[in-house]
Parts: sequence; C-alpha cells; structure tokens
Amino acid sequence: MNLAQLDRRWIFAIIALSVALPLMFPIGLTGEVSPGTRTFHTLIENLGPEDVIIVSFDCDASSWPEIGPVATVLLRHVLERGVKVVGTSFLSEGTALGYDLLATLEAEVGGEYGGDWVYLGFRPQYVATMLALGEDMQSEYPRDYLGQSTRDLPLLQSVKSYRQIRLVISIADDTMPQYWIEYAGARYGVAIAAGLSAVMVTTFTPYLDSGQLKSILAGLKGAAEYEIMRGERGAGLRGMDAQSSAHLAIIILVLVGNIAYFMKRKDT
Amino acid sequence: MRQQIPVAIVATFGFVMLIQYFVPHPFASAAYSKILDWMQIIFAAALILGGVTYAQSHLKKIVQRREGWAYSLLALGALTLMLAAGFWGGIGQGSLFMWLFYNVQAPLQQTVFALLAFFVASAAYRGFRARTFESALLLGVALIVMLGRIPVGEAIGPALPDLAGWIVGVPAVAAKRGILIGIGLGSVAVALRVMLGVERAWLGARK
Repeated sequence: MNLAQLDRRWIFAIIALSVALPLMFPIGLTGEVSPGTRTFHTLIENLGPEDVIIVSFDCDASSWPEIGPVATVLLRHVLERGVKVVGTSFLSEGTALGYDLLATLEAEVGGEYGGDWVYLGFRPQYVATMLALGEDMQSEYPRDYLGQSTRDLPLLQSVKSYRQIRLVISIADDTMPQYWIEYAGARYGVAIAAGLSAVMVTTFTPYLDSGQLKSILAGLKGAAEYEIMRGERGAGLRGMDAQSSAHLAIIILVLVGNIAYFMKRKDT
Repeated sequence: MRQQIPVAIVATFGFVMLIQYFVPHPFASAAYSKILDWMQIIFAAALILGGVTYAQSHLKKIVQRREGWAYSLLALGALTLMLAAGFWGGIGQGSLFMWLFYNVQAPLQQTVFALLAFFVASAAYRGFRARTFESALLLGVALIVMLGRIPVGEAIGPALPDLAGWIVGVPAVAAKRGILIGIGLGSVAVALRVMLGVERAWLGARK
C-alpha cells in the first residue's frame, strides 16, 4: 500500500470509527479541571435567588452538539442556585434551541414561567437590542417568545434594564460576546461571561485578561470539566471520549502522512 | 444628489450617536431610544429585501436553466415550505415549522458541520507536511495543542497540558490581541471616513 497516496475513504473510515466507537462503548476518560472552569463555577456559586441574569443563545443549530453540553451544565447550575433567568437570542436558530433547553431545565428544578424565568425570544438587530436593553427592556420586547405581554410577567415588574441584571451569559459559537462586551459591558457596565465553542477561545482570551469578560467556558472540554466539578456525567464527558480518540486519530494520521512523505522524498 | 443625501444622513446620525454618548440629558436619551427603534425597523426591512433578492436570484437561475438550477429549485422549495409552515401554523413550540426545524434543518446543519472533521483529517494527512522549518514548527505546535487538550495528553504528563495552555494563552493570544487592536483602529478610521464622506464605496458604483 502506498501510504503517500492513501485513498481518502480509508481516512474517512478511521475518523468515523474513532468518533462512533467511543460514543457506543464509552471509555470514561476524565481530566483535570482547569482554573478557567473553576472561575466560572465560582462566578455562578456567588449568585443566588435574589439575582437575575440574562442568558443569550447566540448560536446556530450546526454547533449545538458542541455548545449544547456547555449551555446545559452551566444553566443547570444556575437554576439549581435559584437564580432568575431572562432568556433571549440574537440568532434565529438559537432561539428555539435555547427555549427548549431552558424549559427542560426549569421543569427539572420546578421553575415557574414568568416568575422564575422568562424568554424574550429573537431580535434580529443585535447592536440596537443590546443598547435598548440598557434603556427599557419592556419597550424593546413588548411581547415575549410565547406572545405574552412582558408588562404582565411578574419577573419583569422589577427588571427594567441592565441595572437589575447581575450577569449576562452569552452562549455563542461566533463573535457575539464581543458585541455584548462592547455595547452592554462598556456602555452599561453589566458583567459578561461566555459559554463558547472551543475554536473561539483565542478570540476572547484578550477580553478575559482585560477583565471585560468575567469568565469563559469553552467547548466539550470546558463542559466536561464543569461536569466533573458538579459530579455529573453528561454530554460533555461522553463527548470527551469521542473527541479524544478523534484527536488521536488525526495526530496519528498526520504523523503517518509525514513519515510517508519523507520516505518518498528519500527514494527520489 | 444621490450620493450627497445618503452621506448627509450617515454623517448626521453618526455624529448624533457619537455626541449623545457623552450627553446625559433626557432629550439625548429619548432621541437615542428613538434611533434604536428605527434601527430595528430598518433592519427588519433589510431582512425582507434580502429574502426577496434571494428568491429573485434563484428564480432567475431556474428560468434560465443555468448550471446548478436544480439546487436553486431546492432552495426556493425549502424557503417556500418554511414560509408556508410559519404563516399557516405559526412558529410556536409544537408547530409544523418547529417540527421541520428540529427534525430537518437542525440535523442537516449538524451533519454538514460534522463533515468538517472528515475533510480536516483528510487535508491534514495530505497537506500537513514538515517541508520547511516554519511548517515543522506549525506541525509541532498543532500536535502539542491537540494532545494537550484531551485527557490522554494529561495522562502522558502534566507538562503537556501546561504547554498547550501556554501556547493558546500567550503566543496565540498575543497575535490575536494585535489583530483586535488593528481591527479597532481600522473600524474607527473607516467610520470616520464614511461619516466625513471620504469613503463612498458603500454607495455603490458611480454611473
């Protein structure tokens, strides 16, 4: 077999198996919890039933398998602390996924819609909306996701703008937390944290260093670490098996590809 | 005139938004809220315009039987189906629209995204070669970060995750910070050029 000219279907088969097998037969890999994850955990631990936070589902359906576990473990912790949640979304696909997740988790903890949580739904022009939330939340969202008047929702009787919001968590697979930082954080002084896809970590670390972002929880690894801290075994830890074996498979493929390349170069 | 009026509108609103940031007067705050409302209205109109342009472009392709017209037919069919489902049964939980979203759109998007892993692996096998010092360095760094981000890397030794963390947190972030500062300065420069009417490319080609 000429390794340098390996049929790419073999590579596809190796990747498919390296992802599928650990999902079917879990290995149970765990790891150390990073300081960043501990910071996020502490941030949530410092919240209580008197606090209201905004959770914005700024993600697409395509990245939900990665970002979903991050959102799930974070929000479960938030809701178990009794924190009140105002949900929103600036990407249309994240709207339904976010509502579904919040409704499921609120049902787990017995949260009541309107009193313990509300879901404002989707707004297309995120910059204007982020700024408007700092002025008058009910004017910006006259009706919630379910079509109810926001003036009738008990939670929003006391929450009018960012002044009553303790933290904004953006669940994002793109650069939306940057807009939260620039418009809600810089102008109105609200604290921002982000649950991200792993690829976005480098983009947002400068904001973490400058204090504009309170914390980051990123990717399946972040979700898995948070699950370890909470003693859960959720989609994050299950996914780490598949992610680990896929990473290993790619590393081995790259090494084999290089060996084949150098052997061929030596021959010629 | 067709160029001067848009530039005058942009300059006026640009400077008004800039000045009101520093003016805590209730009038400035009220004007600011009103402008934010108008931003939503303009954006909603732009969304409709985008939808119409999208449909027109695909329709033209189908009528002219240009290459790939069947895909355009599929795109228009999907658009019509989702629009019809939304208008007919609403977009609430349990509606046909949501059923299509959860059972067709979301899995399709996730599948397409997941295909990246296969193509990345194939491309890495064929193209990720240590041909030069720079490419060898890139290869080494990539392998360290990939290994350091999984439990296997931690099992090899605590130095590996630390090194991976250092690579992601120091050199990569330094480069990113430089890019962000560049983008920030560039954005300010472009905004000023647009507001002052120096930059007019956004107005379209001159006839």
